[in-house]
Amino acid sequence: MTAAGIPIRPAARPVATRRPRLGARLSRAVLPAYTLLAVIYLFIPIVVMMAFSFNNPRGRQNITWQGFTVQNYFDVWSRSDITGPMTSSLIVAATATVLATVLGTLIGLALTRYEFRGRGPLNLLIYVPLATPEVILGASLLSLWVSAGVQRGLLTIIIAHVMFNVSYVVVTIRARLAGFNRSLEEAAMDLGANEWATFRKITLPLIMPGIIAAALLAFVLSIDDYVITLFVAGQTRTFPLWVYGASRFGVPPEVNVLGTLIFVVAFVLIVVQILWARRRASIEQALAKEVK
Amino acid sequence: MTEVDARELLDRPTSGLRRLVALGATMLLVAGCGIAGQSPTPAPTGTAGPTATVAPTSGSPSPTATAGGSPTAAPSPTQAPSPTEQPSPAGQLDFANWPLYIDIDDSGAYPTLDKFTAETGISVRYLEDINDNEEFFGLVQPDLAAGNPTGYDLMVFTDWTVERMIRLGYLEPLDHSLLPTFAANAQELYLDPWYDPGNVYSIPYQSGITGIAYNPTLTGREITSFDDLFDPEFAGRAGIFSEMRDTLCLTLLSMGVEPVTATIEQVQAAQQKLLEAAQRNQFRSDYGNDYYDALAAGDLAITIAWSGDISQMQLYDNADVRFVVPETGGMLWVDNMVIPKGAAHPIDAHAMMDFWYDVENATALTEYIGYFTPVSGVAEQVLEDAQTARDEGDEEWAAQLEVISQTAFPSNDQLQNVYTYPQLTEEEERTWNDLFNEVIAD
Amino acid sequence: MPRRLRWLTPYLFLLPGGLWLTAFFVLPMLVMASISLQEGSLSSGYRLTWNFPIYAEVITEWTTQFVRSIWYAAAVTVLTLLIGYPMAYTIAFRGGRFKNILLLLVILPFFTAFIIRTLSWKLILSDNGFVLGTLKDVGILEPAFRVLATPVAVIGGLTYNFLPFMVLPLYVALEKIDRHLIEAGSDLYASRRQTFLRVTLPLSMPGVFAGSLLVFIPAIGDFINADLLGSRETTMIGNIIQRLFVQTNAYPEAAALSFVLMAAVLVLVALYARFVGAEELTRG
Repeated sequence: MTAAGIPIRPAARPVATRRPRLGARLSRAVLPAYTLLAVIYLFIPIVVMMAFSFNNPRGRQNITWQGFTVQNYFDVWSRSDITGPMTSSLIVAATATVLATVLGTLIGLALTRYEFRGRGPLNLLIYVPLATPEVILGASLLSLWVSAGVQRGLLTIIIAHVMFNVSYVVVTIRARLAGFNRSLEEAAMDLGANEWATFRKITLPLIMPGIIAAALLAFVLSIDDYVITLFVAGQTRTFPLWVYGASRFGVPPEVNVLGTLIFVVAFVLIVVQILWARRRASIEQALAKEVK
Repeated sequence: MTEVDARELLDRPTSGLRRLVALGATMLLVAGCGIAGQSPTPAPTGTAGPTATVAPTSGSPSPTATAGGSPTAAPSPTQAPSPTEQPSPAGQLDFANWPLYIDIDDSGAYPTLDKFTAETGISVRYLEDINDNEEFFGLVQPDLAAGNPTGYDLMVFTDWTVERMIRLGYLEPLDHSLLPTFAANAQELYLDPWYDPGNVYSIPYQSGITGIAYNPTLTGREITSFDDLFDPEFAGRAGIFSEMRDTLCLTLLSMGVEPVTATIEQVQAAQQKLLEAAQRNQFRSDYGNDYYDALAAGDLAITIAWSGDISQMQLYDNADVRFVVPETGGMLWVDNMVIPKGAAHPIDAHAMMDFWYDVENATALTEYIGYFTPVSGVAEQVLEDAQTARDEGDEEWAAQLEVISQTAFPSNDQLQNVYTYPQLTEEEERTWNDLFNEVIAD
Repeated sequence: MPRRLRWLTPYLFLLPGGLWLTAFFVLPMLVMASISLQEGSLSSGYRLTWNFPIYAEVITEWTTQFVRSIWYAAAVTVLTLLIGYPMAYTIAFRGGRFKNILLLLVILPFFTAFIIRTLSWKLILSDNGFVLGTLKDVGILEPAFRVLATPVAVIGGLTYNFLPFMVLPLYVALEKIDRHLIEAGSDLYASRRQTFLRVTLPLSMPGVFAGSLLVFIPAIGDFINADLLGSRETTMIGNIIQRLFVQTNAYPEAAALSFVLMAAVLVLVALYARFVGAEELTRG
């Protein structure tokens, strides 16, 4: 008996390699097949959304197929009741992303590279918002604004979005910075570069993929946010808010058009980011090989 | 080794980094312009507070974070209507309305609003933000209570909400010198109403009846009674409104009680009737405007409904559905145009209000949305349009118009069998709401 | 920066973000706590009366919705775990070259607005739509059958929307497992099942824990799925809070309710952490 409690048999004969039986082959195929089905399941509503963006309904109901048209893709830009909220959403997302990424990256850097007191409370400050249901985050902000008599609008939305995004950015950056090798920086400083130059030319480019990933996450979370925005938007309409309101009396196909467009753009952005990251990785590998 | 790597990296141009910073700065710049152009100034105002009708307490109208930290509430400065000081319109109007409440053409544009802009030069931001009286009231109340601008110049609310807003001091009084067409064309029936004597704060937009809509294909028979809504045969396919007054008042009527005189015991009895049905899953859900969707799609066989919606549904989305005023009585309501306190463009709002009383415009509206119009001369105009359509060979549209000319004004039969909403104090409002909330939330 | 002020650097870095979170997370919570103890209404004004009984009132009035929300969130967590674990396992262990693509495919639907995805489901599951309608025409289902406006639809919607939140942490944890440990298992003649149960599963617990939290916490407060896909019997505590805050403007009651929800979440999470033995996982 070993310490693990598993009996050790005498030295094993090498197992002859035979072709696995059909049953074993099938059971090996189960998992991949299941995963494929699950992925298809994940895409069902997306496909339906895309399909119905080409629908040509007579009335306001976009629930039965009534004919194919691409006209919706042109009409959507002239519908100010849709483009208005979409513009608001984009403005909010852009601003909130920039601010949250900057604030979050700074915190992430501080957490992973420096010694300081107060780590505990800081971790609490960052992680508790993540553990709070969105309803409560939104509700508490509403309480604040109503108490202070501040009118809710675009500004309060941006403030809210930055708030919840900072935590996500910090988490992403920390994950990326975890294995960060400081020897490059030290080498640079040995070569006489001051701290700021080191930061600009060495550190920042190296952590840039992490920053981009965090920014992308923040952007998506912001565009998509409904719950928190609902509480702090007042009469301003962002795209998700508009969709929800419109859904009460029939979602026009233009909504599907915008949903599809957002999806496609996000898809392209991610693919580009992956390709870019791969290219960097291969460049760095090539560099490393050369030096050897 | 790392030294060499480091040197390479140090000497590399930082163009990538610079580009990113430039991108970020541009985004911020665009966002900054966006913010400046979009939202009304979110400056926190001192508490103007509700005016005379409500006795101000020692605290301020908005909840304070600390017990003694609030500025003392000074009564609202403006008593004289601001329109008389600035007679010229600003050129911009923010108009909040209900969905399906204005004529719309195939490409999604609003022809009547475009006509308005062409005639007056005022550009309209039309927002179909109102789905439910309570909900929208809840949305604007915090701003109105704190004395902040709501972001809207013109809103459309049902009579009982208007009454409440008048009571709470949330509305701007109207300047009738700016409403000549209203004075000329408004129908008697809608003047000097119970909720706003003298039309000081509101003028009617459209009117309608809350009754029952049903799909005969799904119900299998004709419906005439409110109690059919409770028939177990339609379990899971019946709908009630999330709007407390419509639902409770219709139920009261079905029990022989006139809403205006209902006592609290009678309301409790009505609530019990609804609750019993709700607990055995009679109702699929409670609805606001979204009942339209469910009814047209066939998710509902029978539901409480608004008259004009069904006219529209028959024309555009589902020709099977029918509307009927229950034998025991329906609710007659009037939706009104009002100007909230602190509206940025009150003159433009007046211009829009007056615009709807021109017979041509009112006809265009009625022909599309099918509700009762407060403007006289519309029924005749619709008939003329029907004749024109017939002359042009569009028999179908002509027939539809003839039907609309009948429904542009409530018939005598209907007027005999409809009732108006009760006036409730804040206390009663809360009690009725609490009772009703038990029904719509399990 | 002068050498003697070097120690300030981390604090300077932390300052902007920390201030933001303090001002817009901590402060609002305090304000909300204060509001919960006030009495009054928007039209007549509020007074701080230290109205502690409101907490008891709120709990007793909305107990059904609380219990229902906990039950739904738990069901969703279990479902996403059952559905997501095999997915994460396959991607981590059998993914090979396709790992990144598969992960991408899992995350991609996430980039369409939550609302639109849920509305799509509403369309797909509508009583007489192209799925149910066809089945009813063929006779497999009876005409009165419906999925929407039932708890099944709400839980289904929640499971769908939160599946990626479970798959990703599971994947990360599974990926990190040292393959040698698994090989050791089979070297020692453990069957595949035994290896999984005794080696893989325990080592993946951090992922299970993280995924469960990422699903349970948002799910318990969700109200969109219940709103769009449910009926009055599926009202969750999130719906109540939203209604009280945004429609009825009953701020004290709503604020009290929010805190009770937060407390419930914290208690449940702490219990779960004790159960999973994951105290070490949450340190640092």
